[in-house]
Amino acid sequence: MNHDYEKQLEAEIERHFRDLPELPAPACLVSQVMMELDRRAALPWYRQSWERWPMAARLSLVLVLAAIFGAVCYGSWELIHGRTFAALSQQMTGWFSPVTALWNAVSALVNALGLVIKKLGTGFIVGSLAALALGYGMCVGLGTVYIRLGMARR
Amino acid sequence: MTDAEQFEAFMRNYQNMVFSTAMRLVANEAEAQDIAQEVFLKAYERFGELKDSVTVGGWLRTVARNMSLNHLTRYRSRWSFFSEMFTGGGEEGERELEFAAPEDMEADIERADQHELVERALQKLPPAQRVPLVLYHLEGLRYEEIAAKLNVSLGKVKTDIFRGREALRKKLRSQLGEEVRTV
Repeated sequence: MNHDYEKQLEAEIERHFRDLPELPAPACLVSQVMMELDRRAALPWYRQSWERWPMAARLSLVLVLAAIFGAVCYGSWELIHGRTFAALSQQMTGWFSPVTALWNAVSALVNALGLVIKKLGTGFIVGSLAALALGYGMCVGLGTVYIRLGMARR
Repeated sequence: MTDAEQFEAFMRNYQNMVFSTAMRLVANEAEAQDIAQEVFLKAYERFGELKDSVTVGGWLRTVARNMSLNHLTRYRSRWSFFSEMFTGGGEEGERELEFAAPEDMEADIERADQHELVERALQKLPPAQRVPLVLYHLEGLRYEEIAAKLNVSLGKVKTDIFRGREALRKKLRSQLGEEVRTV
């Protein structure tokens, strides 16, 4: 690229862009923003952004989160030091006994799935993953072609 | 004046600037309008500090620019990758830059002034050339800043801007020449 030519070209384009006025915004822009603000203001406080929550609600949430954090820290510390681990474990077993049966069923299913995968072999799994990737690529490609055709017609 | 009225007046002052920034980058009126709306909704969240700030114009411009670039990255990167594969990349720009048929353009030129021609020629540039060109000439960013913002190499930014300028000049010269002849 010739340096003088580049400089000359830059200056010419700069001349065209200089004093280029701002484009007029659509007439409805302001009203649309105001309508959106009204809509947001009409939402209940808990669905608005955190900054707009009432002070009492913000303080309460901070306290609740601090309490949860403290409980997690205390619980972890207790577990690590194991002083109450045995008692806690026994208690937890009692609480979660109904879940144990479900857990056993899920474990059996997972084990069966593992066995099936072992039987099928690596080639089949790699082939399936490749087919999935190919399908994904085709979806993206077809979507791209569709968008390009759609835009070209505008 | 209530807060709502103040904000409305604030928007009226800056709406053209915000919309222009978005429009020149995304080259689509509906998308630029959506971006401008988001910019003002963001501004409303901080209106307390913005309304008395002397740098509010710069803040709005930066937010509009970043939102436009995010928009382009989010919605166009995937299909532009494929489109470049199909059309051979850089050549696409030359093809898309072609203006409409001469008889259509004559009617357009009659009601268009030079600024409109520049705007229209700019919007017809492919994004790969238009975006760095706008960032350089209209947003005042340096090559290095543009490369960082677009996450491309410095060499690519320079090449795209050079190609964009050449394509723009070619079209503007022919269009302005046509206009002079018709007057």
